[in-house]
Order: sequence, then C-alpha cells, then structure tokens
Amino acid sequence: MNTRIIISIVFVGLGLIIAAVPQNVTLPYKLTAEEMLVESNNRVQFYSPEEIAEIIIQKNPEFQLIDVRSQDEYEKFSLPNSINIPLTDILADEYRDLLHQDIKRNIFFSNGTVNAMKAWMITRQLGWENNYVMEGGLNYWAEVIMNPIPPASTSPNEEIAKYEFRKAAGEAIHGNTSIKIKASTTIEIARPPIKRKNTKQRVQGGC
Amino acid sequence: MAPLVSYDIISQNTNLPLAFAIGIGFGWVLESSGFSSSRKLAGVFYGYDTVVLKVFFTGAITAMIGLLFFSLFGWIDLNLVYVNPTFLTSAILGGVIMGLGFIMGGFCPGTSFCAASIGKIDAMVFIGGLFIGVFIFTEGYPLWEGIYKANFQGYPKISTSLNLSDGILALLVILAAVGMFWAGEWAEKKFPQAEY
Amino acid sequence: MNKGNKYLNPYIGGILLGLVLLVANFISGRGLGASGAVKSTILAGVKTVAPGHYDNAAYYKEYQEDHKEKSPLNNWLVFEMMGVLVGGFLSGAVAGRLKLKVEHSPRITSRRRMIFALLGGILFGFGSQMGRGCTSGSALSGMAVLSLGGFITMAGIFGTAFAFAYFFRKNWIQ
Repeated sequence: MNTRIIISIVFVGLGLIIAAVPQNVTLPYKLTAEEMLVESNNRVQFYSPEEIAEIIIQKNPEFQLIDVRSQDEYEKFSLPNSINIPLTDILADEYRDLLHQDIKRNIFFSNGTVNAMKAWMITRQLGWENNYVMEGGLNYWAEVIMNPIPPASTSPNEEIAKYEFRKAAGEAIHGNTSIKIKASTTIEIARPPIKRKNTKQRVQGGC
Repeated sequence: MAPLVSYDIISQNTNLPLAFAIGIGFGWVLESSGFSSSRKLAGVFYGYDTVVLKVFFTGAITAMIGLLFFSLFGWIDLNLVYVNPTFLTSAILGGVIMGLGFIMGGFCPGTSFCAASIGKIDAMVFIGGLFIGVFIFTEGYPLWEGIYKANFQGYPKISTSLNLSDGILALLVILAAVGMFWAGEWAEKKFPQAEY
Repeated sequence: MNKGNKYLNPYIGGILLGLVLLVANFISGRGLGASGAVKSTILAGVKTVAPGHYDNAAYYKEYQEDHKEKSPLNNWLVFEMMGVLVGGFLSGAVAGRLKLKVEHSPRITSRRRMIFALLGGILFGFGSQMGRGCTSGSALSGMAVLSLGGFITMAGIFGTAFAFAYFFRKNWIQ
C-alpha cells in the first residue's frame, strides 16, 4: 500500500472520531462568584481613557463604544462614534446581537463607572464575552482628556509625556475649544494600575 | 493546561528561545521535504510535482486534528490560541497579490528563507524583494489603510460561519485534502517532467 | 513520487510539519509565520536609520501603540525565522544539498529567473502585509485553527497562482 492510501485512511478515521464526539464542553459557560471577584479585583474589564482616546483617534474597527446612560444624556453629549444602549434596555432583544458576539469588543461607559459596571456584570454573568468598561467614566474623561492639568515642571518625564498625550488626544477628538461638560462631583478613589495585560489572554500572533 | 505561555507555565523569556527551537524544526522539515527548490514548489501549478500540496495540506490537517483532540482531552484551551482576524477585503486582495508573487517568484516567505540557507541565490533575491515589498507597504500605508481595515469580521472560525461543529468541519477538510492528494498524484503521472 | 532524490516522503514531511505547528500552538498559543519577521526587521531598520520618521509616519505609529516599549526585533517570529535558517542549513548539510547557485529551468536564463524572483518577492512582501500573513502565518496556521480568514487567504493564494500559471509557464516548463 502506498503512503497516500495509508495516510488517507488514518486521517479519515481520526476525522470520523472527531466529528462524532461532542465538542469539549468542560469550559465553564458562566462565571462563578469567585471568578467574578477575581476578575473585578484584577480590573481586567477596564480600558483607560488613554487607550480609549487611541481607539477613537485610530477609528479602530475592533471596538464599539457604548453609552449606557439615558437617551437624553446621550444626545446632549457623548463620545464620537459611540452608540446608545440605556442600561434599562440592556437585555432587550434588539441589542442582544450587539452585546453577545465575538467580533467587536464593546466598551461601556456612563458618567461614573457604576452604571457601566452594572452593564458589564449583567452581560458577564450571562457568559457574554467581549464587554469592557471605560475606567472612570465620562467624568474622569473630562478631567484627564478634555481638560488635563499640566504637571509641575519638576515632574518626572513620564508624567509630562502622559500630559502631552492627553492634551493632544483631547484636541484631536474634541477640537481645540475645551468644552466643559458639567461634571458632577466625582469621588476621587485611588486607582490601582490596570492589570489586564497580565491575565490569561489570547496570545498575540500574526505574520 | 496549554498554551503554556498563556498559563504562565513558561515565561515570555523562555518563549523566545523555544521559538528558535520551533524554527529549527520548521526549517528542517521544509528543507527536507524539498521546499528549498522553487522548481519543486512551482510544480504544483503545472501538475508535474505536487509536493507543496501534499506537505501543506497534510501539515494543516495534522495540526488541526491534533488541536481538536488536545482540546477534547482538556490539554489545551482553544479559546486562548490565536485565531487570525478576518478582514474580508484585505484577506482576498492580499491572497491574490501573494498568489501572483508565488507564481512569478516560485517561493513563499518561509520557503525562501529555507532555500537561502542552503545557498540558493534566487531565494536570496526573493528575500530582497520581500523587504522591498514590505517597505512599500509600511511607507505607503496611508494610501491603503482604508482597504486594509475594511470589512472587519472579528475572529471567526469557518465552522462557526458555516454553522457546523468543529469536528464535522475537520472531517470535511480531511476529505477535501484526501481528494486533492489523489488528484495530485494523478496529475504527476499525467504531466511528467524530466529530472529537474 | 520522485525516485532517486533524497527528499522525505511528502506525507511524512507534512505530518512532521503539522507536529511542529502543533507544538508551536501548544507552547506559545500561536502558529508559525515568516513574513512577520521581515516586517520586524524593516521596523527595526527604520527605527535606527530614521527615528523621527519612525515616530511620525502612520504605520510605525500604529505599530508602536500596539506593541509598547518593545524592540521590534524582540519578537517571537524573528527568533523563529532565525531557527528556520539554522534548521534549513542543517538539513541541507546532512543531505548534501549545500550549494551556492541560481536554480532555474534550463529554458530560461538565470538573469530572467532573478528578475522574476525579485518581482515575485516584492509582490509577496506587499501582499503578506495586506493579507495580514503569508502562506505560513495566515494560510497554514490559520487553517489549523479553522480561521475563516486563513481559508480565504489560502484560496486567494493558490487560486491566483493557478489562474496565472499559464502566463508564466515559460519560466517553469516550456
């Protein structure tokens, strides 16, 4: 028997086996409470305002910004290229395809983080992936991207570079006139660094 | 559980030397299968030598079946394995341009490096061309950025798109490959070429 | 099958190739590649020769944003391709195929072969960036993980090469 026939028989046999067995279903569909705690402690779900500014400027097609505030608020002010899904409608059928898919990464945002986090927790509990939260919400966005405060000239270079990036990004996105949206009093919390990069993640690849 | 890198079983720093080792295996297999000869490679398009077809598809189905069985046994988490993104327009356009480059140059990037390593001067010239081509792309990027990013489809698997299970799709691919092997050997008999 | 040559049986070669690809996926969670290493070298070259341009031109800027503070050469594919050069050389040495030469059909001059190799290389280099990967990175590795894009690119490459084979037949057969 020549090699081709042996190879063909072996592979078709293996193919029949793999076609007959059900796919591996041992992976958890839903997160357990413990996993949820770990995820939120590691802050894996956050995108920082700087990352979001890059996404907006690059018009990165892999992301969709979603405003979870009410329609009124959305119409008054929102981020460029964002869409509006009020939190109350998050489970509506019409949005299901948007929120439960594996194409784009959705990033929720609201004024603070509370409502965006609610949206994230609900979708995450349903086992829907690809949903994320904008760190600090629009209040923090207004603070760091639209009206960044220049650091003291004695600050480390890193701080200054960060400021310059924020300033440039703010101008690129909102134009030179810094609009002051009325930021309701934000509770300043210490922000631990986002650790998304360290968690189990799809490996970077490509040719 | 694998991929070992994702589970931090090996670190990023160990990952690179392992990439080197994997590369040695890759280069060895390509060379010893005859991929260092452009005339063998181009043979598939004229039917006189279908080694490319055989090696390429046997390789793809071996890895495919291996991954599916590993996943079945719970050894690897396929959700963490890199799946290429699909940008419809650029995938087709890029494929067409590469196909043209293949029939003109007789190599693809991997095989040209392998052929250059054993002293094929035409392969070295081809690599020079690769550098020029990539450079043209990176320099003129604003001109084709729109096409490059058009029609983003996410990271779909073909099985999901066709609404089939991975296993059934794998079986179909295997059957297609077996059919091509048969056609290839038939073509080799039909369009023989003297020693080259 | 060609008798008299010292090449591996293509099916055995294919299985070995599949196993290498499987190991790459198992260890590093990714497939094989080739053109990415060329891209990294270009990036490193531009960074050294024209740092200002590297920070400003659109493509390099996007690359830097995606790959923060890493040298372009400190890359999986670059290490892998260095391995390919070593592996190919070793295999060629063992089989006695090391020889500096231009391989071409007896019906064409080596000059013609070189011109076409260069043109083919340019097209392949450009296409691999447009298609986000070459035969190894996109087609072979993509097929193994059942990526839709991988199948499309594979069909594009082989389909086009078959379609144009007739026009370039002089270079290879008659």
